[in-house]
Amino acid sequence: MAVRDRDVTDAAAAAARWQGNSLSDMRRRMVDRVATGLCWLATVLVLLMLFSILFVLVRNGIGGLRWATLVHVTAPPGQGGGLANAIAGSLIQTGLAVLIGAPVGLLVGIYLAEFTATDGRLINLVRFVSDLLLSAPSILVGLFIYMIVVVPTGHFSGMAGALALSMLVVPVVVRTTEDMLRLVPLSMREAAIALGAPRWRVIVLVCLRAARDGVATGILLALARVSGETAPLLFTSLGNMNWSVSPAVPMASLPVTIYQYAGAAYDDWTALAWTGALLITAGILMINITVRLGLGRNRK
Amino acid sequence: MTAVEKSPVPTAISVRDLNFYYGANHALRNISIDFPQGQVTGMIGPSGCGKSTLLRVLNRMYDLYPGQRATGEVIFDGCNILGPRVNLNVLRARVGMVFQKPTPFPMSIYDNIAFGVRLHERLDRAAMDARVEDVLRRVALWPEVRDRLRDSAGALSGGQQQRLCIARTIATRPEVVLLDEPTSALDPVSTARIEELLDELKADFTIAIVTHNLQQAARCADQVAFFYMGEVVEVDSADRMFTAPREKRTQDYITGRFG
Repeated sequence: MAVRDRDVTDAAAAAARWQGNSLSDMRRRMVDRVATGLCWLATVLVLLMLFSILFVLVRNGIGGLRWATLVHVTAPPGQGGGLANAIAGSLIQTGLAVLIGAPVGLLVGIYLAEFTATDGRLINLVRFVSDLLLSAPSILVGLFIYMIVVVPTGHFSGMAGALALSMLVVPVVVRTTEDMLRLVPLSMREAAIALGAPRWRVIVLVCLRAARDGVATGILLALARVSGETAPLLFTSLGNMNWSVSPAVPMASLPVTIYQYAGAAYDDWTALAWTGALLITAGILMINITVRLGLGRNRK
Repeated sequence: MTAVEKSPVPTAISVRDLNFYYGANHALRNISIDFPQGQVTGMIGPSGCGKSTLLRVLNRMYDLYPGQRATGEVIFDGCNILGPRVNLNVLRARVGMVFQKPTPFPMSIYDNIAFGVRLHERLDRAAMDARVEDVLRRVALWPEVRDRLRDSAGALSGGQQQRLCIARTIATRPEVVLLDEPTSALDPVSTARIEELLDELKADFTIAIVTHNLQQAARCADQVAFFYMGEVVEVDSADRMFTAPREKRTQDYITGRFG
């Protein structure tokens, strides 16, 4: 009987020990719930905005997504034009921009990450300028190219547009390349150097290979970033109502066409602007999905 | 001040009056030590005493970092390797190094080994295959990886990675192999395998190993050097160092009174 009593009191004491300080416990739980609730609210808000944009885009743009839109060039209102010249122009200009900008960005990024032993001030200056370019208003970049390319050559051109876009590619690639190379452990570089490898082989065969996924991601993100740019193209490639794939003459592009058509008073132009916007968004979405699936897969 | 006994074994590397500076920090003070050919020299001492620093002088690793400089002489094959005219890539091919943490390159097991070899020799396919197999057999890794030479080296276990790194280092056929605490990141079984490996490797290489593990030094080393505050306090055979050290500081360290 006495033994049983002690068991009961022990059990009660144990229960009390598990109770904790109920007042502060309750307060903690409350704070936790409120904070979690706010996080949910913010998430829902962002998703709502994103999906409402996508929804409107698809609703207004899907109608124009016909074969004719893809193969016909832009035409005067009411004549059933398409976006073929704008699509081709965008592909050519963003492609050229990446071809020009990515190697430059890659080399600068390598310089910033790998040649830290050279001159700190120069490195800091280059990084500062690159970061400045990253946040520079893109219309200024367009005006700059207008001054140094369009004015001397005397006319707008697709090449000028590509150059303007490439100036936006460079800082993005610089930043990601440098960041990714800095993630490569110093010990890996030392190990390669300890085998008697010259500097360039260490960088190309070991460091860049280790940072490969990240660097490729940076280039793709730069591509995604410039494929929606309008302002740099306004003063450089201008736009072209006819089919043209020559970078030497003015060139159409999706963003500029959207800009011109969206404000127009003609219903078929507005519809094409929506379709163009849908096409760009789908393209960027595809690049992002490629980045996620294709490159994220290899990561350990 | 350090009594280096004349040994009958020829000397591979001879360090004389070496001083080393990390900027203003005087890290090594008047170091003189010989590394006998074909023997294992163990370097022991408390953290920050200069063991690893000396190792990084022997292959001029410190050259990567501005502000680090060495004075004195390090004679290897009749040449002062601290001199300005030394071809560092050749030096590093002749004096290989294995690091504390395994450092597999982001490539296949095969290419990890071929990477170093390709830097210094032109081998045809068959000769390269033979070299890769040979060094993997020597580090006792061959049976474990023979069927997956094309797989990423990152998939190996820590102990396997470290053996791969040793294989990669000896694949360039160096004369000296420097090991900087090669087992401190490994489990006891992997550690034992690498210690066994050292015993076999010293037939072909002069070995210098930094270790915090005194038992490891006693087991593996022929000669042991005790470092303290940037100086070499004592250099002696492993037997005498651990049974009858001449210096009080050595005795205090190996009996665990400081460090």
